[in-house]
Order: sequence, then C-alpha cells, then structure tokens
Amino acid sequence: MEFKDYYQVLGVARDAPADEIKKSYRKLARKYHPDVSKEADASARMKEINEAWAVLQDPEKRAAYDQVGKGYQPGQEFRPPPDWDAGFEFSESGFAPDENADFSDFFAQVFGRMGGARGARFRQGGNFQARGDDHHAKVMLDIEDAFTGAERQIGLRVPKADDQGHVTLENRTLNVKIPKGVHAGQMIRLAGQGGPGHGGGPAGDLLLEVQFNSHDRYRVEGRDIHVRLPIAPWEGALGAVVPVQAPGANLEVRIPPGAQSGRQMRVRGKGIPGSTPGDLYLDLQVVLPPADKPEARAAYETMARELAFDPRAEAARSAT
Amino acid sequence: MSHDVVVGIVMEDACLTLDQLAAACAVEPDWVVTRVTEGFFTAQGSAAGEWRFTSATLRRARRMRALERDFEAVPELAALVADLLDELDGLRSRR
Repeated sequence: MEFKDYYQVLGVARDAPADEIKKSYRKLARKYHPDVSKEADASARMKEINEAWAVLQDPEKRAAYDQVGKGYQPGQEFRPPPDWDAGFEFSESGFAPDENADFSDFFAQVFGRMGGARGARFRQGGNFQARGDDHHAKVMLDIEDAFTGAERQIGLRVPKADDQGHVTLENRTLNVKIPKGVHAGQMIRLAGQGGPGHGGGPAGDLLLEVQFNSHDRYRVEGRDIHVRLPIAPWEGALGAVVPVQAPGANLEVRIPPGAQSGRQMRVRGKGIPGSTPGDLYLDLQVVLPPADKPEARAAYETMARELAFDPRAEAARSAT
Repeated sequence: MSHDVVVGIVMEDACLTLDQLAAACAVEPDWVVTRVTEGFFTAQGSAAGEWRFTSATLRRARRMRALERDFEAVPELAALVADLLDELDGLRSRR
C-alpha cells in the first residue's frame, strides 16, 4: 500500500497553519468539484482532496497522521507500526461513512480503526443498535435498456472490520437486475445491500442513480425521449409519411405540409414505458440533397428561378 | 470477491419518508425539516410525519449537503448552486 502525502495533495507545507490548509482546500474544491469541473479526472481528484481534507482539517487526525507518516515519501510502500494509534482518541470526521468508503486503502488502514462516532458508540458496548448506512452509486444504462430492462454488474468497495476492529476495503461485485421503465435521475433501491447494521440493527440500502449513456440521435428528459428526425426538403414542404426508428418502437409518422427545421412533433405515450408513459418528441431537421450531379444542380436552379424565394425577406423587412 | 444477483426496485415518485431521506443523505431528520420549512426543497404531504420525497429531491438534498460541507455554504447559497447545477445538467444533456 502506498503512502499518501496529504500535504502534497492540498499543495501546502507540512507546517502550514490551519487557515492556509483551509484556503487551499476551498480553492481545489472549487476547481475539481465534479458537478462543475471540466477536468477529466475531477471525480478522482475530488475524492483525493476530500480525503486529505478529512485528515488535515481535524487536529486529532492531523497529529496522528504526522506521527505515523514521519520519514515517508509519497508513493513509498507504507506499513503502519502495530498499535501506532493507541493513545489517540478520534471523533467524527465530518464525512458520512459512505464517503469514507470512497477513500483510499491507505486511509482505511490508518484511520479505519476509529470508525467515527457510530463505531465508537458501538464498541463501547451496551444495547446500542443502529441501521447500517445507505450507500450510493451510479449506474449507466443505454436508452434501449429503459424499454427492455437490463442486467448490470456494479463494483463496490465496502469497508469491513475484522475482530480487532481493523478496517479494510473489500471489493464486491453485484449483478443487478434493472426493471424496464427506469428514467433519467430515478433511483433504484437495493434493500439491505448498503452498510452493515450496528449491534444487530438492519443493514442499510444501496441506492443506484440511473444515468443514460449519450447517444447520437436520442436524448432522454425524464420519461420523454427526444429523437432527431432528418427529412428531405420536399417531405417538409409537401408533407409525407416517414418511417421513424425510435428506441422501443418503429413507427410511421405523418409530417404535415410546410414543416420546417426545428419544428417539434410529439407522439404521445411512446417515451419510456411506465404507469404514466413518457412521450416521444421528434425534432425535425430538413437536410439538403447535395448538388453534386447535373440533374441536382438543374433542379436547384429551377427552384431558384421559379420560386422567387428570399429566406432573409423577413429580416430585411424588420431592419428597415 | 463475492457474486450476488439482486433485483433492483425502482423508486416510484414521492416514495421516500423523512427518515429514509435523512438516512440516504446521512443527516439528522432535523436537517431535512429545516430545509423543507425554508423552501429549499419540496415535500408532498402536509405534516412532517406524512411527507414523501422523490428521487429528484434526494439527488438535490445530497448535492446541497455536499455543497454545505465542502464549502461551508449556508443553505440559501447551497440551494442556489443546486438550482444552477440542475440547469447546467439540462443544458449539457441537450448538447
């Protein structure tokens, strides 16, 4: 297991005062917050930054870390001395236990034994009983999966304590059956698959947030599906019945005469299935045939001559 | 490595109780009550004991909690940022 240099992660000196560490953490948190960051590795960096902050913001943990980390270089193989933490009393980290589970093996090895407030109460004995923590994960689906249901394998890292209270992170794989009808942002509950209960209490749940992989032609908004539908200029101008390949359905749709690019048509009830099924939205896009043959050029030239059409006429009128 | 096959239960709209939402966010129920009372997220039902929350509210509540913790943000500001992030999610999905 590699030694983690939390000071290096936050870009501060080992003797940096608390307010400087805080300032540096805030700056990095703004840069790498996965919700806003454009950096490719934002999520991994944010975990690292949060882990370093969880240790260095807490005087007890920082002191313990300084002691155990004496003489170690980042990346160096780390072996904590036995019982190094005897004499330290830890309190709550400020991070929820499910987030601690996101932290590194190094963190679990060094700080796993203190367990946070719930663990401490648990170890004090008595009749303390509590439900395990809920864990959270994301599951990526293809849009078609919402119509058929799917099975996905989900990798989890679960903290596990041995008889001596040492906590290690165990890798666990769950095969999850996802029923059809799930839509973007919805949660799937896996009862009892979260953190173990304390003192005989029930285990927590695992909550999976559904997200869809991006698709060239489809887009999901809640239960509704948006499909880009290319049409020929004459189909838009004269109206036509055109085939539409949409997820879960192959349809024929009547395009009304005079349909322009950007017009939206709704097919009710053909979105993601459910007790209230979503709708299918067709975003029309007129595509010009290329003028790469004499016949095509002639057809365009005839239109130019015969139609006397100026697409900028309205703009010219409003400008005067 | 252990292998299990589990069947997911899709959480239908407005199915989480106050205690379930609080547990899923790893906060005390009071944290939720304060934010509902202040209007930062919505509950269906009239009394706290009858409140029900949606998946979308759970996502928002977790986001607000992370913002409050990571930036020591007051709830008002965390709610504002959560609004903006929701809008950003919508815009990004349209690209």
